[in-house]
Amino acid sequence: MANQENRMLIVVFYACISLFALICLIPFVMAVSGSFSTEARLAAEGYSFLPRGFSLDTYAFMFGSKAEQILQAYLTSAIVTVLGTASAVLVTTAYAYVITVKGFRYRNFFAFMAYFTMLFSGGTLPWYILATKYYHLDNTLAGLFVPYLLNVFLMYLQANYFKSIPHEIIESAQIDGAGHIHIFFRIMLPLGQVGLVTISLFYALQFWNDFYLPLLLVSEERLYTIQYMMYNMMANIQYLASGNSAQIGGAIIAPPLETAKMAMTCLTVLPIAILYPFLQRYFVRGIIVGSVKG
Amino acid sequence: MVKKRVWSALFLAALLLLSACGTGSNNGKESTSPANGTNNESAGSTLKPAKLKIVLYGDESNRMKELSKAEFKDLIKKEINADIEFQFLPWTEYGGGKTDLMLSTGEDFATYTDTNYMVKSVAKGLYTDLTPFMDNAAGDMKKSIDDNSFTAFQLDGKQYAVPVGNKPNSGEFYSVLARQDLLEEVGMTGISSLAELEAFYDKVHAKHPELIGYASTDARKMLMYEYTDKNLFWQNDMLAIDEAAKDDKVISWFESEDFKAYAAIMRGWYQKGIIPKYAATNLPQLQSDWNSGKAMFWAGTAARPFEGAASITQAVPTAKLANYFLSKDFPKISRGTYSTAWFVSANAADPERYVMFFNLLQKNQELYDLFAYGIKDKDYTLDENGRLTRNTTDALIPDWLLMNKNFMRFDNTVPDDFIAQYKAWDDDAIISKGAGFNFDNTPVKNEETKINGVFSELLAPIASGFLDYDTYFPKALEKLKAAGFDKYMAEYQKQFSAWYAAKS
Repeated sequence: MANQENRMLIVVFYACISLFALICLIPFVMAVSGSFSTEARLAAEGYSFLPRGFSLDTYAFMFGSKAEQILQAYLTSAIVTVLGTASAVLVTTAYAYVITVKGFRYRNFFAFMAYFTMLFSGGTLPWYILATKYYHLDNTLAGLFVPYLLNVFLMYLQANYFKSIPHEIIESAQIDGAGHIHIFFRIMLPLGQVGLVTISLFYALQFWNDFYLPLLLVSEERLYTIQYMMYNMMANIQYLASGNSAQIGGAIIAPPLETAKMAMTCLTVLPIAILYPFLQRYFVRGIIVGSVKG
Repeated sequence: MVKKRVWSALFLAALLLLSACGTGSNNGKESTSPANGTNNESAGSTLKPAKLKIVLYGDESNRMKELSKAEFKDLIKKEINADIEFQFLPWTEYGGGKTDLMLSTGEDFATYTDTNYMVKSVAKGLYTDLTPFMDNAAGDMKKSIDDNSFTAFQLDGKQYAVPVGNKPNSGEFYSVLARQDLLEEVGMTGISSLAELEAFYDKVHAKHPELIGYASTDARKMLMYEYTDKNLFWQNDMLAIDEAAKDDKVISWFESEDFKAYAAIMRGWYQKGIIPKYAATNLPQLQSDWNSGKAMFWAGTAARPFEGAASITQAVPTAKLANYFLSKDFPKISRGTYSTAWFVSANAADPERYVMFFNLLQKNQELYDLFAYGIKDKDYTLDENGRLTRNTTDALIPDWLLMNKNFMRFDNTVPDDFIAQYKAWDDDAIISKGAGFNFDNTPVKNEETKINGVFSELLAPIASGFLDYDTYFPKALEKLKAAGFDKYMAEYQKQFSAWYAAKS
């Protein structure tokens, strides 16, 4: 009886999840199909699940005219993601360690300093002045990740993982003569692995998806990330379509081709779509690590 | 083993970080040092070297990239001894966003503006006053662009921006831009009244039910000839003036009987389906419908019949566009200007050189051709009649931006009589009596914000016919008054009257 009930429940769950997955999939399928359609038929008949008049022209056009930029943008995005995640995790865990160390006199002060920025910020303008006039981060690779090196929320998340490590372990290490650096790298980081995996994924996703830093700090095309290229394209289309452009001389500026838009979307999503099934394994493992330990 | 691995990984990460920051700071230096580092190579020029940064919006095409590093750069260096850099920003940053940030942080650059953004920015002291440079640096420009265009960008007699080009702009959106091919298909020859326009819709709708009628939600200008005897010209969404009357009276558009009559027409259009039902929630769709040839008419401007044709003919190769005025009793009204103008940021080291650059763009046919179309016989060819064939679809300095009726070229598809009509478009136009007036909103800033809220939430839906005037207008009016409209109106009238009196 109970078994049958369970089975029923599982069937219902599967049905719900499948439906939900399907709904999520629809826009993606439309984008893929749109990118393989011919422009004229797409404009005349709209989107569909199967490409209208299958053609590779759009991709040929994109790679013909923009291949270099797209590859360059991919490379920049990848470098920023790897470099950004590695350094952000290092900075975040280090800060988290500092504010969790027992016996460190100013840890509350540092904890407060970080917390304060969660509640109040100086605003965009002072931030921009600081980043461009004092740190000279404009048009640099560093500008694409340095401003995001410490996410306070993730720092607290990591600090909580550290707090869950029994203090006795640290004490015993200290008795054995270990200094803070030793304790941090040899004990805290390996034991706080669960948190490490989580925040790494958060950071990696943040760096891959970010278009705000390139928007504000970058004007040289060699530093465009793939997301910024995408944002740029979308922003232009949206602005032109909203009719605001009518204010600017009443001109009609032909927006980029619909199929090109879709092809660009596919290109941006592609790496994540390919990598995700592999990453997911680690993601799930990361979450369940330690869950069955007493 | 593990230890080794951890340390080597960390070492690698640190190395990467350092190298990234390293190259970073080098680049930073690179981009700032040429300002004082470069020197003069152009022997002919007596000017000292300068560095200019021009911000443009939209996508930078590949060809533009090549030219801006080669021919454009060399030519500008030769002509005005300036090192030029073009920076492209997404359209969302126009008149705000990053443009604001760059202005507020005192960067040295120039880009284009409209009067609204100009008034706001000048109040904050963010634009350079270009008046002292106009006589010396903008000489050629003054010859090819009329004076009214310049006065439109003056505040208190000071020139804060210079017009980017010179194109016929009178009667903007006052005409019906109709799909001539559809018109002929249903056996009509032209449109000269509302009744004919609606008949056009009915006939085409019967044949092509998949097409929408009007691809916009605002037809107050186009329909003006039908619902009022005044020759209305709108100062903004709220206020209008009557160009037929010789007074300084500002009309509250929404409180007028004219608006009531207009709302009734629009309500009818909406119910009838001339404006599609989705227009209320999905405005951008209308324009994309128009671009893909799925609409019958739109609001017209002098240039739209050929400017817009390219994207429509992609979907409907036989499409043709033509402008029709519902009545021609009134003269066309001109703001006296192209609505876009160049400005120079307040912190620019050499504002005069920027003006010289703007002047260069409109100096003569040869330079205009270069900046708008590229290199002759490579990027474009001209036939014996001077008609243009472009060999690349890449935009350079956007040609809508430079557009000057004295210099611009047409392609083979544009009929001769259209060009003649286009060039003479402004000839019988009158300059608006409000041309050159710029409202200073500082005293009523709060009211203005609230009024704009009421406008988009309550009044715009009535104006577009989505909501019924009789049922919804009284409440909207009440909210408008509560938002401080009377005070706003009084302030506007006061400033306008003072300006008007000083002018005449």
